[in-house]
Amino acid sequence: MHFATALRRVLGLGAAVLLSSFAVFLVPFVSPGDPVRSMLRARMDVGAMDEATVQAYAEQFGLYDPLLLQFGRWLGRFFRGDMGISYISGTPVADLVLPAIGVTLSLAGTALLVAVLVSIMLGVVAAVRAEGWPDRVITSATHALIAIPEYALAPLLVLLFAVRLSWLPSAGFDSPASMVLPVLVLSLRPISFFTIAVRSGILQALDSEHVLAARARGLGATRTLVRHVIPHGLLPLWTMVGVWFAGLLGGSVIVEVIFAIPGMGRLIFDAIVDADIPVAQGGVVVAVACAVLATGIIDLLHRRSDPRVRIGASRG
Amino acid sequence: MNLGRLSATAVFAATALALTACSASTPSPTSAPSVDREARAVVANFRAPVSNWALESDDAYVLSIAGCLETLVKYDSTTQNIEPMLAESWKQSSDTAWDFTLRQNVKFQDGTALDAKAAAASLNHVLKATAPARAVNPKTISKVSAVDADTLRVTTPAADPLLPYRMASVNAGILAPAAYGADGIDPFGHCTGPFIPVSEKAGQSLSLDRNVNYWGGDVQLAGGEIRYITEGPTRATQVQTGEADISMSIPATSLATLEADNSVKVLKADSPRTATLYLNNSRAPFDNLKLRQAATMALDLPAIAASVYEGAAQPATGPFAPSESWANPDLQVPQVNLEEAKKLVADSGYQQDKPLEIIAITERAEFAAVGAIIQEQFKQIGLQANVVTKSYGSVEPEVLAGNYDMILSQRNRMIDIADPIGFLQSDYTCDGGYNLSHYCNKDFDALIEKALPKTDQATRHDLYRQAGDVLAADAANVWLVNEQAIDALGSTVQGYVQDPLTRYVLTKDLAKTK
Repeated sequence: MHFATALRRVLGLGAAVLLSSFAVFLVPFVSPGDPVRSMLRARMDVGAMDEATVQAYAEQFGLYDPLLLQFGRWLGRFFRGDMGISYISGTPVADLVLPAIGVTLSLAGTALLVAVLVSIMLGVVAAVRAEGWPDRVITSATHALIAIPEYALAPLLVLLFAVRLSWLPSAGFDSPASMVLPVLVLSLRPISFFTIAVRSGILQALDSEHVLAARARGLGATRTLVRHVIPHGLLPLWTMVGVWFAGLLGGSVIVEVIFAIPGMGRLIFDAIVDADIPVAQGGVVVAVACAVLATGIIDLLHRRSDPRVRIGASRG
Repeated sequence: MNLGRLSATAVFAATALALTACSASTPSPTSAPSVDREARAVVANFRAPVSNWALESDDAYVLSIAGCLETLVKYDSTTQNIEPMLAESWKQSSDTAWDFTLRQNVKFQDGTALDAKAAAASLNHVLKATAPARAVNPKTISKVSAVDADTLRVTTPAADPLLPYRMASVNAGILAPAAYGADGIDPFGHCTGPFIPVSEKAGQSLSLDRNVNYWGGDVQLAGGEIRYITEGPTRATQVQTGEADISMSIPATSLATLEADNSVKVLKADSPRTATLYLNNSRAPFDNLKLRQAATMALDLPAIAASVYEGAAQPATGPFAPSESWANPDLQVPQVNLEEAKKLVADSGYQQDKPLEIIAITERAEFAAVGAIIQEQFKQIGLQANVVTKSYGSVEPEVLAGNYDMILSQRNRMIDIADPIGFLQSDYTCDGGYNLSHYCNKDFDALIEKALPKTDQATRHDLYRQAGDVLAADAANVWLVNEQAIDALGSTVQGYVQDPLTRYVLTKDLAKTK
């Protein structure tokens, strides 16, 4: 990668982090209701809230200061490597965010790994047997799975595998077995999308000139498939994997709530609802950074494996 | 083989079979399942600690149900009385001072002794919090000090006959001095309870071991685990699969499934929460008593309880649950009387020019359905209403300012102390800080003023009852259903006493059978 490209990416990352953290910072202030009362309500289920308490709590964290001053304070700390203190727990934000991102990375990473492996297998079979019964079955199944939302699928799987069969735990995140159902739920929709992409990519590769040339040179069908068709047919998949990974980092809230998993989506969601601004900002910054990093790595791999992208980038 | 030997053999076999059958069908006393001393109980709790174990926050509930945190006294929800805990006795030494005599030979789990100085330091820490607890705060307690090694004096700004109830609040829990560090509160090894916290999986669970030196005697379980599962259906599933032994606060939607499961025992008790249709008494149209009465008569409360709550709530008779000792036992569930309700609407002189608004708060998903039923039933008496769903936080300022018609909400009457005085004061007196319905009746206020200094429980409860009757007569709100506290237990759990105030779960007597 050229220096200019790398610089563009770093600046892009910085801009994404700043913009997203500012957007998250604003949410509690533009939402109806008092963010200070939301924080206090998260600490204790309280109805009548003493105004003096609300004022004292707000003053402790400077919550009635001008918004830009508050954001500037956070930014100053952030550049010194300090994500601040949670308004609700009083603990360093890093102590909350880092364990959560660890959980989410392992969950999202495993789900995508499963999705990639399964979709390659299904997509290749569907493409190679295009219009045959395996293709029809796989295509129908993948289209059907796209339509099933996670909040419907998760309880169904819990009912089957945890309640009826007693094979797997219904919730938690403390053993490999406890990861199976959440990974399954998170991977089924990407499997559908990825399979469709792989099938389409493989079909295009099968019709490409270099594959026809390889066949003309007398290369066997299997070797042609492995050496020429699959590597090129999978190129669209990697871009999708990057996008899905970025989405899962903060967007697996439903699965995390249903399976009681202390991940990033739940942390950010709760922090926004409870107006715990530093935690929401810290969470979003880390999630965005991981997402940009992941898509950057995938982009790099994409460039290495696809000469057309490499050449296009160097010309641009 | 001859016939004689054959018949003798048959008689012997038959007798043996009969005896075997008898012994199988009549269990001997020794065949009763015995307590498993090595067992650990898993509790699926609806709360997760979020405040770094600050005792002034709801994290104190988690430590209390975990059998770690203890208070000077405890509230027994069965007898509705205050019982000894870390203090063996207490007395009011002056109008504004209460002396608690600590139990002898109690040690914190780190081996240090509980004395009055340590207890005072613990309570003073809670009093100094920026956002103090509901029950224990500088407005209710002015000073806590050690009189001598065994005597703790709690001074109140004014005479407070309910001070022992405050001391039973989980926020008044006592931890060892070493628990209070610069980085916050560390309960590990610093409680006095039957279970010692040994590890925590952040955001997931707290594990505990038996406290072999517990002051209260032998602890049955070897340990326990409190899982933080905020999603109700997931808690229900956990007890069904056997992953949890006790699941707290089961949602109505899971009730039928669990009741049909033979391996699960479902416990229900009146909770101190009544789902209420708050009527804005301060402005038209509900500043009119006749219209409020009409609203009460129009609603079919048993139908709401049966349909929306699926049996997890009982139709309300008034502002209190019937099981509460201050509830008027003569109050009945209001009967639907559409004709009378229509007449009251006509008599009120109300001419509707635009639909009224019912706010259903999103924090309680069922309120949207309740709102839809109310909307339909109001139509029958000629009242048009729209239901809007909003988060409570977003509407609270407008509701407190009196800019609304109706809001569906619910309140915990005993959220600060196990007595409704705080609720009655804040929610229904003219100057109440949380008077959502903007209700004001000097007679009601006088009854509360009269109840405040009463030390005799029966007298106080009688005054609450009268106050409740005033609210019902004024149709201040429509009290819809009393919600039930629902817990579910696995089949091997023994010695569990359901606490509707969700303070106690892992106790020394809780056990599992083999």
